[in-house]
Amino acid sequence: MTPPPPFSACWRSADTLAVLARWLIGGLFLYMGLSKALQPVDFLKLVREYDVIHASALLNLVAATLPWFEIFCGLLLLLGVAVRGAAAMAVVMLVPFTVLVWLRTMEMSQASGLSLCELKFDCGCGGGEVWICRKLVENVMLTLLSAWLITSRNRRFCVRPRLL
Amino acid sequence: METVLVAAAGLIFALVANALSPRGLRLNRDYFPQADKPTTVASGMTNTVSSSSPSDNADATSERLARQGLQQVKSLQVVAWFRDARYEQGAVVFVDARNEVHYAAGHIPGAWQFDHYHAERYLPTVLPICLKAEQVVVYCTGGDCEDSEFAAIILRDSGIPREKLFVYVGGITEWTTNGLPVETGERRSGQLIPRP
Repeated sequence: MTPPPPFSACWRSADTLAVLARWLIGGLFLYMGLSKALQPVDFLKLVREYDVIHASALLNLVAATLPWFEIFCGLLLLLGVAVRGAAAMAVVMLVPFTVLVWLRTMEMSQASGLSLCELKFDCGCGGGEVWICRKLVENVMLTLLSAWLITSRNRRFCVRPRLL
Repeated sequence: METVLVAAAGLIFALVANALSPRGLRLNRDYFPQADKPTTVASGMTNTVSSSSPSDNADATSERLARQGLQQVKSLQVVAWFRDARYEQGAVVFVDARNEVHYAAGHIPGAWQFDHYHAERYLPTVLPICLKAEQVVVYCTGGDCEDSEFAAIILRDSGIPREKLFVYVGGITEWTTNGLPVETGERRSGQLIPRP
């Protein structure tokens, strides 16, 4: 009996990793989105604290829709529907958010004299107060994982991996 | 193309979900009327830090209230009004500007709840009571909490004369620190937090 080609084991590992990545990112987005959607006023106050959006209508739009958008993308990833599109949306959300958290952390660090890894606050991710150092690392990892999912050809446990 | 479709579908889903959710935000409402730049608060390993100093905050709060035509009231006066017989008669009214969870956890005994983020639910009850009162004291957590100011602005814009409206900047935090009675649950529940 001939042994299977060496790359098929790698392929199976990549496949499994893609499924796990989908479920991890999807589950996180679903959880974080739900916790914010259930307390939209608290999220609105947090978005305001970033002092980036000043027009009340736009502030309300972001605070009202972002949590539900996260839930939507989370569900798509969990179910394996439009995986590339959902993963791309995850990157689109994660990158600016991570940058904003970084900028806010730098501002706090300068104001307080504390280092990055000594700061803890509610960044608006849906997990309450977090150590920012750890949060930034997590976000970067999630962004990289989401970006990898965009290129992944995995089809396992997918309801409809591609819409078109 | 798939990304665009996901984005469009996601936005529609989000708008519909927000509209249907009983906790949804109203897109055309200004939840922070006449607001200044928000203060950021964070915790460090040893202490809580803010993007501005406490004295800066106090000065900024006083200036902000004055600009909006609101009066600030200090702890001594608040306690005097609380102990005045007119309080029981409804001539002095306390308004708690926090949400249900915080209100139920502890409020000034007899205070009316007015979560200004859902003003339409509370105004029908609170407004007539405030109109009859001689002094209306609005408070929230204290410190960097601006909810009392926003609630006072809404009450002012709803017809409560400015001369009657007072913002207790120290809030429930200062009230509790001073060892004053705190009621839990509903208004006039009679459940007071025992003092140590």
